[in-house]
Amino acid sequence: MDYFLQQLINGVTLGGVYALIALGYTMVYGIIQLINFAHGEFFAAGGYMGVIIISYLSAKGVSPVLCIALGLGLTMVYCAILAMAVEKVAYKPLRSSSRLSVLLSALGMSIFLQHGLMLTQGVYDKPYPTAMTAGGFELGGVVVSYMQIYIILITAFLLVALNLLVFKTRIGKAMRATAQDKVMSALLGINSNRIISLTFAIGAGLAAAAGIMVGFYYGSVNYTMGFVPGIKAFAAAVLGGIGNITGAMIGGLIIGMVEIFAAGYLSSEYKDVFAFIILIAVLYFRPTGIMGENVDDTRV
Amino acid sequence: MANLTLSDISVRFGGLQALTDVNFSVAEGDVVGLIGPNGAGKTTVFNVITGVYKAASGAVRYGDQVISGMRPYQVLGMGIARTFQNIRLFQNMTALENCMVAQHCRSRCGVVRSILRSPFQRREEARIEEKSRKALAFMGLEEYESEVASNMPYGHQRRLEIARALASEPNTILLDEPAAGLNPAESHELMETIGRIAALGINVLMVEHDMKVVMGICTHLVVLDHGVMIAEGLPEEIRKNQTVIEAYLGH
Amino acid sequence: MKRILILMLVLAISLVSASAFAETLKLGSMSPLTGPYAADGNDIANGVRTAIEVVKSEGGIPGFDDITLSAQDTACDPRQAVAAANKLINEGVNAVIGTYCSSATLPSSEAFDEEDIIMLTPGATNENVTERGLQNMFRTCGRDDDQSKAALAFMTNYLKSKSIYLVDDKTAYSQGLADNVEKASGAAGIKVLGHDHVNQGDKDFSAVLTKVKAANPDVFYISLQNSATGALLLIQAKRMGIDAVYLSQDAVYHPQLITIAKKDADGMYLTFGYVDTSAPSYKKFIKAYEPKYGKPGAYSAYAYDSAMAYLAAVKKAGSVELSKVRTALLSMEFKGASKTFRYKENGDSGSNYIIRKIENGKFVDYWNVQTGEKF
Repeated sequence: MDYFLQQLINGVTLGGVYALIALGYTMVYGIIQLINFAHGEFFAAGGYMGVIIISYLSAKGVSPVLCIALGLGLTMVYCAILAMAVEKVAYKPLRSSSRLSVLLSALGMSIFLQHGLMLTQGVYDKPYPTAMTAGGFELGGVVVSYMQIYIILITAFLLVALNLLVFKTRIGKAMRATAQDKVMSALLGINSNRIISLTFAIGAGLAAAAGIMVGFYYGSVNYTMGFVPGIKAFAAAVLGGIGNITGAMIGGLIIGMVEIFAAGYLSSEYKDVFAFIILIAVLYFRPTGIMGENVDDTRV
Repeated sequence: MANLTLSDISVRFGGLQALTDVNFSVAEGDVVGLIGPNGAGKTTVFNVITGVYKAASGAVRYGDQVISGMRPYQVLGMGIARTFQNIRLFQNMTALENCMVAQHCRSRCGVVRSILRSPFQRREEARIEEKSRKALAFMGLEEYESEVASNMPYGHQRRLEIARALASEPNTILLDEPAAGLNPAESHELMETIGRIAALGINVLMVEHDMKVVMGICTHLVVLDHGVMIAEGLPEEIRKNQTVIEAYLGH
Repeated sequence: MKRILILMLVLAISLVSASAFAETLKLGSMSPLTGPYAADGNDIANGVRTAIEVVKSEGGIPGFDDITLSAQDTACDPRQAVAAANKLINEGVNAVIGTYCSSATLPSSEAFDEEDIIMLTPGATNENVTERGLQNMFRTCGRDDDQSKAALAFMTNYLKSKSIYLVDDKTAYSQGLADNVEKASGAAGIKVLGHDHVNQGDKDFSAVLTKVKAANPDVFYISLQNSATGALLLIQAKRMGIDAVYLSQDAVYHPQLITIAKKDADGMYLTFGYVDTSAPSYKKFIKAYEPKYGKPGAYSAYAYDSAMAYLAAVKKAGSVELSKVRTALLSMEFKGASKTFRYKENGDSGSNYIIRKIENGKFVDYWNVQTGEKF
């Protein structure tokens, strides 16, 4: 039972990280039907920017809590701006081109960003000041680190905030309207360019938060770190029903849990295999994913 | 309140002359019917007015302002709302949300304030919701406010389109075939609704094929054929106009 | 047509003049300069660079105006390694230092064999590298079978361990080594509680570590291809509270293991080739390397030694021809930075694995495998 609970905690932590990244994929797909392969790089860029800001602040003698809060906030803003710039440069000029050219542009952007990180930050891993968040407690044989608690809490907070934003605010309505029918939304006075920019910004901000938390949790960041979690998060988004926000959250948690339980009860080497078997099985029986794809016939 | 005036409007799509020198105006309190055979260019007129297409020549004026060349949402901001021939509701949103989105161009909150949910933003949100409820009630849809659009029956969706247009508080409303697909009872109800809209002092310009609706409600008719205006006048005059009859029956 | 003729003429003249007037000794290096093993890969390229700088500053090699380096990226991928090998062959290199990964070394060395180009690997420890009878293949580092013997000797003679749990990340090197340790442990009566494999690029090891914790082994053997990954695993293992002796190998050995894992790295043991840091040859290497490239990694010295050995052999043979350089290499004893060695007939240079330990954020020599005593 302890073993199961321990793996459950491990799974929820990992799943939360996937969910945060998956949201960016799903939101961007929902609004412009683009699989933004560069999205994983925002996660990596966030991981780097986070450690740069936090190390700088802590060297200035700022208290750890403030360091992390400021680091998290500033990094999310930085990645949001980066994502808006990427959208302007790499995707907007291609908006009326075929989907394939935008997809290629996304792949190119991914390589560009990854190697940009490599050239500016070097090939070596960058360590995180893990002492700030070290520690944990043991509860009846189950080891829980503070960082796991932070990840679960911050992820839950961001997910709730995003839900409120999308389903309760005017901007959220504008986003959903643009996703469903861009022409109609434009007729109703919604500036779709701004909404698309904003969608990229929010997705990247969430990925940046995930990047920092992963940095603290695992202890370091690397310029290649965006690739594998990016693919997993993409799988999570597809699993949940791409374009569907709730689906991405659920998909992320499922992929995280399946991985951990496959590794914990079978073997680590097959964990990815199981994650993708689940994905294929769900898509076979429910091609639109668990929550259903945001398909709309009236879309132009 | 203002007159909507089209003067010498021409539209070309490549080599195709879609509209040639169209001239007419919708005066205060008018219910103007825009009729003509299929492909006459009626929807094109709507698209020119709402800023979706650009006219090759001529101007659209609203009151004393030239609105041709404006972006669609600016036209909406001027107080000209429209509905569509094929229903274009946000299918995944509720009836109330559909109406609230329509007021986007009229609400006064930026992105940041919307996210922070300042007190001002909350008041704004409440005001929009209130107006949207009114529009739904006006169209007899108050019971369906939390119904998702795609789950509503066809006739209700048609009404919701009009409610959404009304929610943006227009002075002029453009209805594109509002009676399409409605049964006689529903058509009748629609005529009564259009009458109530006109009674609010909103100018109505409608494209419609159902002659019973057109003759029953319009105060003025404009007839298009192959992008050219072939007649204009009171319904009774148009009914007897030989050119119009020929256009409809074929030469 | 006329233009093409002129162009060809110009090319021909330039080629002739290049070979006639300026003899350049061209070295190539192959290592993963990008990707997860980029840290070790760059250490290798830097080691070769240092060797060239040192030799040049000492007057170069008679008969050659210059020594150049073409550093190629293999990304630790067999296909990319073969492509890089072909590129170096086209560039006309005389010898190649590389590669880092055994899986990239095996196919590329065969391409060089066909062209009679010498290849000296500073990092590929898989046994097969020197077991294929290739005349052009030399190895400056140790071998996995020797490394697993060293690990076993430490466990049986010093730790007196009763049980072991192994984790590897499925490369020819890391899994090969873990398999050797597993087999030898079983034969020596150490109970194998489990042997798990993780994937390349994994960052989350919580599931497998929960398993290790539940198994509660005496020794936790970690065989990964990469030190940064090793650090991640170490941090998570300590956080999980796994109370075992952590034993690892030379691919995990790198300064960044300590910079990333910090306190969590303390107490870990690693099998690693013995380096006499007080030897003059090591001091000479450090003096040339550190100011330019920072603290050397695990393979910097092996790469440096490989290049130094080759250049010395060319100097002695007075030629770059394979057979002559080979004879020279086999006949000489090299006082290298990593060790003093002599290449054997099969190309190996002998292993000298010892146990190093991380204490207070430093690697220290801990246990001598040959003598069975602590340093």
